[in-house]
Order: sequence, then structure tokens, then C-alpha cells
Amino acid sequence: MKTTISISLLVAAAAWAQRPVAPTNEPKGNPRGDNVADYNILQSFETGYRWRTVGGNGDMYRSTVNYGDGIRLLSSSLSVQSREGHGGLFDQILLNTQGLGNDPYQSATLRIEKNRLYRYDLMWRSTDYFNPALTISNGEHLMDTTLHTQDHDFTVFPQSNLKLFLGYSRNLQNGPALSTTQLFDARGDEYPLFANIRREQNEFRLGGELRVLGFRLNVLRGWQDFKEDTPTNLTSPEQGNNPSDLNALISFRRNEPYHGTSPYWRVALFREGKRYWAMNGRFTYVAGNRAFVFDEFSSGANRIGALVNHQVAVFGDARRPAATGNLTFSLFPTSGITITNQTSVNNIRMVGDSFLSQYDLGTAPSPVIPFTYLGIRTVANSTDINVRLSPWFALYAGYHYSDRHIASIEGQENFGSPAPAPPDNTPIEQSNQLKAGTLGFRIKPVKPLTINLDAEIGRANRPIYPISERDYQAFRARVEYRQKSFRASAYARSDYNTNSISLTSFASQSRQYGVDASWVPSEWFSIDAGYAKLHLFTLGGIDYFVAPAQEVKGESSLYVSNIHTANLGMRFSILKRVDLYLGYSHVQDVGDGRATPFGPARYTALPAFQAAQTFPLRFESPQARVSLSLSRKVRWNAGYQYYGYNEQFGGIQDYRAHTGYSSISWSF
Amino acid sequence: MRSLRAVFVLVALAPAGALAADYVGSDVCKACHPDVWATFYRNPHYKSIASGRETPENTGCESCHGPGKAHVEARGGKATIVAFSELSPPKTLDACLRCHSQTLSRANIRRSVHTQEDVVCSSCHSIHKSPAPKFLLAKNQTDLCYTCHGSVRAQFAMPFKHRVNEGVVKCTDCHNPHGAFAATWRMAARPRMMEQAQANEEPCLNCHADKRGPFVYEHASVRIEGCETCHSPHGSMNARLLRRPTVFVTCLQCHNGAGNFGRRADGVPAPDATHNMADPKYQNCTTCHPRIHGSNSDNYFRR
Repeated sequence: MKTTISISLLVAAAAWAQRPVAPTNEPKGNPRGDNVADYNILQSFETGYRWRTVGGNGDMYRSTVNYGDGIRLLSSSLSVQSREGHGGLFDQILLNTQGLGNDPYQSATLRIEKNRLYRYDLMWRSTDYFNPALTISNGEHLMDTTLHTQDHDFTVFPQSNLKLFLGYSRNLQNGPALSTTQLFDARGDEYPLFANIRREQNEFRLGGELRVLGFRLNVLRGWQDFKEDTPTNLTSPEQGNNPSDLNALISFRRNEPYHGTSPYWRVALFREGKRYWAMNGRFTYVAGNRAFVFDEFSSGANRIGALVNHQVAVFGDARRPAATGNLTFSLFPTSGITITNQTSVNNIRMVGDSFLSQYDLGTAPSPVIPFTYLGIRTVANSTDINVRLSPWFALYAGYHYSDRHIASIEGQENFGSPAPAPPDNTPIEQSNQLKAGTLGFRIKPVKPLTINLDAEIGRANRPIYPISERDYQAFRARVEYRQKSFRASAYARSDYNTNSISLTSFASQSRQYGVDASWVPSEWFSIDAGYAKLHLFTLGGIDYFVAPAQEVKGESSLYVSNIHTANLGMRFSILKRVDLYLGYSHVQDVGDGRATPFGPARYTALPAFQAAQTFPLRFESPQARVSLSLSRKVRWNAGYQYYGYNEQFGGIQDYRAHTGYSSISWSF
Repeated sequence: MRSLRAVFVLVALAPAGALAADYVGSDVCKACHPDVWATFYRNPHYKSIASGRETPENTGCESCHGPGKAHVEARGGKATIVAFSELSPPKTLDACLRCHSQTLSRANIRRSVHTQEDVVCSSCHSIHKSPAPKFLLAKNQTDLCYTCHGSVRAQFAMPFKHRVNEGVVKCTDCHNPHGAFAATWRMAARPRMMEQAQANEEPCLNCHADKRGPFVYEHASVRIEGCETCHSPHGSMNARLLRRPTVFVTCLQCHNGAGNFGRRADGVPAPDATHNMADPKYQNCTTCHPRIHGSNSDNYFRR
């Protein structure tokens, strides 16, 4: 019994997420449920009222928190379990819900299972997404959508040597949004547009698993269908983002139905080879295909004030077949040594063409058929060894090699008279080899203490982008102490990457440090606290123009972020009747220490780049919750949570939100 | 130490070397462990008892704890039974994989980073005291992961994040804690422990279906280096989980025309002379290039 208690305390000594104040997380005891016929039924639900008041920028509150007012079924749980494992149609039903009744984040999971015969799993989620993103496109890319997803998985004979899988997933995204377009030429104006997002994805899965000669063969066939028919329009004349110029939009209409399927295969063979070896292999193939039509008509005045109308019609299709193979062997020559070799091949080809016709004031210039191709083939091999030299010391090391070959064509066919020269569709090819080595130690000098030290150093000879990894090294250290109800850990990690070439250079440095501890000394008190520091420093070469068409070279884009994160959670239980929780979360980016957005003119002379070098802000959220046991089955709960968002410069998005709830939870 | 060695010997021998007579059956166990037995019918492992078809070494308590005869005769004690609290992490893994290696999602468990660092089954699963509705997790999944991944917890505390703390997104939506096949994006077999959408794509596309494409004009960085080129998937101080607070800096880090970068191997194109970066009009790239993840009708992602 003592062991049981210590295990439960150990389990309790985990880090808590700073969850929203509701639903109530206090333990509801360990009810034994009611026995009905051959089943045992456990049920609980919590229902109550949420409230909130927001001062400041309500849009930013909705972007980052988004809880509203109203009555909610904050959480519920149902468990129906056959007591002997021989139920009629089912042996187990598990149903759990959260946030039903209009919370922005709602979910439900359901499992129905009949031992040896079938298992059905459902995951349903609904997420409200609101984001004006003021710092992106001046807030003209606002989204106010809801994403509904559901995943159904049905397994027949889940415990046998032959299993069958059926699955269905659905993904719906709907809601109003803003978009932008730029007309009527490259120096024209930009116009906000209304879009009513309508996206739908359906996926069907069918598969099976067979055990033969100790191997398991797993085959899955899937069909995914996606369609989007978001209409975009403008019903009244629009001056655009720059009202002082002569550009104006009188009418605009855009339709772009988009539809396609992505059928796929996954075939896997794997075996846990008793004591000395294990292997697995996997082959996947996805054949993505999308067909589209794009029809856009706009009329208005161009940048010299002349009336214009503009129509674009495009149709075509895009294809992206992707094949992947993996083969992994693991050897266990002794009980303390694991050697693993993995080879993977990944091949993606992206091919597409679209027939484009464009009419300006009814005049049709020559249509074009652009043709693009992007092929990526990556071959990777890695060997890792893990040697447990003694119960207190282990060593692990690895060597990873990757070769990525990229071929690209960006061509087009032109029509006209006389016929233009045929396009040069010779692919541009390049390869990048990355070699990386890892080395690590795990030391356990005494049973409660674990120390991990590891490093990875990589060298690439031709990264694809200036910010890609070229010469990188990562070092990591972690110390953890666990003793019964107490756990403490500290970690440090640094990631450095330098990607320098003759004309420019990119360097990024990331350093993270953190400590956290949790302690559960008794059933009536527990505490969890943590602190983390994340330092980011990146410097990359930039090349841009300023008026009058003057190119600026040799400057750098700097970004510095110093983020301090702290959290604290304390639980008290008073006389086993009252549970009290106090929590606090604080995130603060202190930036690079400057007092004004433009700061010192480092690395660049353009104020816009100086202002983008750092973005200090503070986001904090204290909360308190009380849960009172009214009877063995009923509890009353109430809580309060404050959210404060504060940007150091400007502060147009700052807000202060007071949220809370009161609820009754009932379990039996 | 001697008792520890005895446990190792027991594990090594059981169940292959054990005699059928060494198994006493779960009914005997419940006499001394009534608290475990009282709710064991809710435990998925109870299926082995309910089945009635399994061999003694695969049935009930003894399927994990080994033959119980010596334990009963000694009137208890950890030295006479397989006690998981005394097992080394590799032995714990061996014991569980005797049955649980039969799932594709665990096919890479032995070479996973978790196993490498001695994070094995009992580190996250509590067989007899699980408060979680499924998978016998020792705690709510998020809390469990945060126990070791403090830096990730810090990211999810940021103002912009996937709603993991809110309970609608789970770590396992994107990660496979039991080890995964190599990611099909990026290089050096990273990022690790990732689930894959469909059969071989970034897990982001499970929900962000509109970003999947294919598009006639792909933004190559999305396909070659992945979404995390521009986004911080766990959490960010910046809207849309961007790595920078402003869009134009995000773009211009790559679009500087330097060297032999990019799909054309002659530098990722820098903005041309019409883009006067001193004019605020040009400091929001996605205003004119809104289809930045890919487009079917314009190779500059303008529509």
C-alpha cells in the first residue's frame, strides 16, 4: 500500500500545464460507480456559467484567449465498463467532452469497444479562430473562422492476428475573412476584399494488418478529397490602402473553385525479433492532384487615373506524387547495446500547368501556359548506437548522412504570331549533403538523479536557403532529480547556426535555460513552479531598394528576443472538503533592452528594419479557483483568471481581461 | 543488490523458462492485492483474463509480473516477483514490448529518443493508478509531456499558440512519443518523433488542409524545409505563430538575392526596384502576395 501511495505521489509530481481556470481540474475522488446489470457506470459532468470583461483591444483578446460569456457544459465524462469482460454488444464505452455549449475550444472523444471483436474511436473538435493580425497586412487578413474536425476509426478484431481498419476524417473550415488584392499593375494599389471561407476535406481509410511468421504486415489505403469554393467580392467602390493616389476599384468579383483528391498507400512490415534484433520497413505513396478554375473581373481606375477593366481566367491542375521508403534494422548484441541503422528515401515531384488568359479593356494579350516542376529527392542514412555500460552510465552516439537533390523548372509556353521560340525547360539541379554527428551521455550516479549531456554537430555543403542549416551545433544538458513526491529539473540548450557565403551571411543563436520543480508533500498541499529563459539572436543579410530606386546592399536584418517565462501553481485541500488552486503564468520578452522602437541604428539605416529588430511585450495570467465539496457527489466550483497583454512600444493591441466562472460538478 | 539480480533473472526467464506450475492465476493475487483487483476490470489488461483463451504466462497479473508461485510461497516480497519499480528501464521496455510491439505506431520505439534517454513505458503510463480515460496515462497527457519538456511548456504559455493548454489540441496530434519514422521534410532525420499526415507529410496539414496543395506554383520553402521555416509550431510571441513580429523581415531574410541559394540556384529573388522599402506600402509583403503558401494562378502568389 505504501508503494501505491508513493507511486501516486510520483505521478502527481509532474509539471502542470497552466490550463484555463475552467473546467475544474480538482480531483473528484475515486468513485466506484454504480453497477447496472453486468456493467459498472461512472459519470461526471460540470456545468456552469462563464463570464468575461475585456478592456482595451478586444480583437487581440479574441486572438489569444477568446473565452466568452454563457452557460457551458464545461466537461463531462462517462464510463460504462463490463465487469467480467463479457458484455453484450460492448464491453466498454468511454465518452469525454469539454467546452460544449459555445466555448471556443470544444472537443469530445468516444470509445466503444467489444473485447476481441471491435473497437471504435471518435475524436471531434471545434475550434474558433479569430485573428486580425494587425502586424500582418495591416489587419486586412482578418480571419473569424471555425474549424470542425472529426476522426472516426473502427478496428475489427483488434486483438487478433488479422485486424481490419476502417476510418473516416472530416475537416470543415467556415467563416468570414478578409483578403487583399493588388491591382491594376505592379505599382497599383492594394484593396481589402471580403472572403467567405468554405473549405471541406474528407478522408476515407481502409486497411488491415496480418501477422505472418512473426512479421506484421500493415497495409493502409486512403482517399482524401479536398474542395474549396471561397467566393471573394467587393460590392462597393474602394479607394484602396493609399487614398491619395489615383487608383480606385469600382467592382470586383472572384470565383476560384478548387478541388482534388490525394489517394495514398502505406505498406509497412515490422517485427520485434525477440532478443537480438528488430526491423521495420515502410513504403508510402501519395498522389496529390488538384484541379482549379480561377475567374476574376475587376474594374476601376489605374495609377494614372484611366478607367480600366481587367479579367483573368485560369484553369489547369497541379500534381504532387510523393513516395517514401524507410528501412530500419536494430541489433541488440547484448542487453546493454542497441545499434540502429535507418535508411530513408523520399521523392516528391511537383508538376503543374495552368492555362492563363488575361483581358485588359477587352483586349486579350497572348495567353500563356506556365509550366513548373519541382522535384525533391532525399536519401538519408543514420546509424545510432546506445551503450549502457553500467546501470549508472550510458553512452549514445550517431552519424547521420542526408543527400538532397533538387531539380527545378520554371518555364512557360507562349503563343502568338509569329510563334515565339520554344521555352528552355532544362531543369536547374542542385544537391546538398548534410553530415551530422551526435554524442551523448546519460549518467545516473544515484537512483533519483539523472544527468543527460548531448551534442549534435552538422555540416551542409549547399543549403537551399540563407537561413537553412549549414554549420550548426546544438548542445544540451539536463539534470533531473526525482525522490518520491519531489521532482526538480534544470536544462540548458544552445543551437547555433552559421550560413555564410561571400555576399551575405546568416547567423542564428538560440539559448534556452530553465528550471522547474514540483513537490507533493501531502494530500492537502502541492506546488509546481518553473522558470525558462529563451534567448534568440539572428542576423541575416538583406538587399532592398529605397527611393529613388536606390539599391541598398550590405545591411543586415537583426532580431533579438529575450523571453522570460515563469509559472507557479499551488493546490491546497482543506479538510478534504475545499480545494483551492492558485496559479500564475508570466511571459515577458524584454527585447534587446532598448527604450524606443527605433533604438540604435545597428546593422541598418532604415527605420522600418530598426523597429523590426525586437518586439518586447508582456503576457501574464494569474488565476484562482475554489472547489467546495457539497456532498459525496456534488461540488461547487468558482474561479477567476486575469489576462494581461501589454506591448512595450505602441500598445495599440494591449488588453486586460477579467474572466471567471461558477459551476456545479456532479460525479457518481 | 542480490535481490535486484534475482529480479533480472526472473525477467530473463519469464515467461519462456517458467513452468506452467509456477503460475498461480490472478485469483490468488487478489487475496493480498484487493485494492488493485477492485478496479482491474476497467484496465485494458483485464482483457487477457476475460478472454479465457490465453496461456497462463499471458493472462492477468502474471502476464506482466511473471509466475507468482515463489512470490506466494514467500508471502510477498519484490525479490520473488517481477516488480516494475525495481526494473531497469530496458527491462521495463522488454516486459511491455512482449505484447505491445504489435502496433505500427510503436515500431520505432527501440531507437526513439525517449528510449535512448531511459524514458520508457512506466515513465508515462501508470498501469494500476491511471487517472486518464485512455491509454493508462499517468496523468493528463499535456502535464505528462511538460514534466520533461519545460521549454515547450514555456512556448505554450506565449500569447499565440496551438490550443494545447486549452485541451483541444494534444501533443500526440503532431508527435509520436513511441518513436517515428524519419521525417520526410528537412534533413538529418529531423525533426524527430513526428507523426505524419496522410502517409508522409507534415502533421500540420492534418488540420491546415488548405495549405497542402499541390499548387502549380509552390512556395518551395514550404515543401523543402517545412512550415517551421517561417512559423514556430508550439507557440510564439508573434501573430500567426510567425518567427518574426513583422512579415517583411521574415521574407527578406531569404529573399536577398545572395549566393546560389533558392530553387534557381542563383539567389532567392530580392524585391525589385519597384519595392521601395521606405514606403510602408511595401512593408507588408502578404498584402500583395496573399497566397504565400502556394498559388495556382500566379507565380508571385498575388492571387
